[in-house]
Amino acid sequence: MSQQIHSLLFSAAAIAVVSLVSTPSLAQPPGGRGRGAAKDEVALPTPRLPGGKVDFGGKGAWAPIWVLDWADKKWVTQQIDVPFTPAGLALFKERRANNSKDDPEGYCLPAGVPRYTGTPYPFQLIQLPDRVVILYEGASHMYRVIMMDAKHSADPDPSWLGESIGWWEGNDTLVVDTIAFNGRTWLDYVGHPSSESLHVIEKYRRPDFRTMVYETTIEDPKYYTKPWTTSFKVKFEPGWEIKEYVCLENNKDLLHLGTTEPK
Amino acid sequence: MKRMSLIAIAAGFVVLLAALPVLAHHSFAAEFDMNKPVTLVGVVTKVEWMNPHTHFLIDAKDENGKVTNWDLETGSPNALSRRGWTRHSLKEGDLITVDAFRAKDGSNLASARMVKLADGRKVFAGSADDGGPGSTSGTVTPAKQ
Repeated sequence: MSQQIHSLLFSAAAIAVVSLVSTPSLAQPPGGRGRGAAKDEVALPTPRLPGGKVDFGGKGAWAPIWVLDWADKKWVTQQIDVPFTPAGLALFKERRANNSKDDPEGYCLPAGVPRYTGTPYPFQLIQLPDRVVILYEGASHMYRVIMMDAKHSADPDPSWLGESIGWWEGNDTLVVDTIAFNGRTWLDYVGHPSSESLHVIEKYRRPDFRTMVYETTIEDPKYYTKPWTTSFKVKFEPGWEIKEYVCLENNKDLLHLGTTEPK
Repeated sequence: MKRMSLIAIAAGFVVLLAALPVLAHHSFAAEFDMNKPVTLVGVVTKVEWMNPHTHFLIDAKDENGKVTNWDLETGSPNALSRRGWTRHSLKEGDLITVDAFRAKDGSNLASARMVKLADGRKVFAGSADDGGPGSTSGTVTPAKQ
């Protein structure tokens, strides 16, 4: 096959994919964005722990898509008019203009909260009596501890994933409140910014066995004039386990991204 | 006619495989140029089955007979193995055909998307969720530079 035909063939295939995936009925499950259970799939009931609270576990793992833009309905349930401050908008525009070359994830640094739920690496929730532990396969093989029915520390040290506390609303909604971030993570691939004043509230629900409805509220007065809330679905993949992912092992990309520091 | 049916088959393949999640950890558009597709035929010289991306190197001959060693980036081994690849799928000495996009910096690095293996199977190899061509959930429009 000549190179010309091959290029044509591949270009046509790429265009076909791009046009197909932009058609909501093909790309998205009904009633929301993300990868919930497929339409024709018989929904198995929500698993529950003794006492009735939702069990987010099971044999398998949650498998998010890469939610590239947490405010664009291509990826999330509703289009969001992000309430930027002038500083937030300036930083966002800078990141768009350079195609996100300085994204900390490209450096294999932690994706952060809430971004982990929208990066394409599986995760698992381990529910213990006094805490929920989330094991993330992605950048870079991190875990997160959410202390249940606890109070935030008086003066927690800033960190990549912050300090998380959790509680239940009824039996169906796990609420997680996180503060004390170091301001070095991005909210998503396109570069919605966050600072040390970031405060994140997440709500985890599991309406059926294979579907998580994830909702998060972003509060960060440095970059946003008011809190904004976004949501999407995450699909449970039975049989999956999280694998080792040592991102620094062979990160050749840094030599080609044109970046000099994560920022 | 033959060309059309091949296009249809290839498109079907991409849709099928792109529906599965793939790992990637950086911006497609910052590193690779969607406007520089390249098709390479060559012999595998090295396989790096490692995170964050599997790389394989091939010696490809251009029309003048000059051999160049290309570094081809694919999805992570974790993602590829969830799509049916194994660390044995590509071996040194295999003759393969690769559809890829070149790095913006002009180096011999390219993002491999479709690979025709030595046994004739065509498989999607790219990071389908990275915002580049073939992304599952949508593409991010690159900034004009």
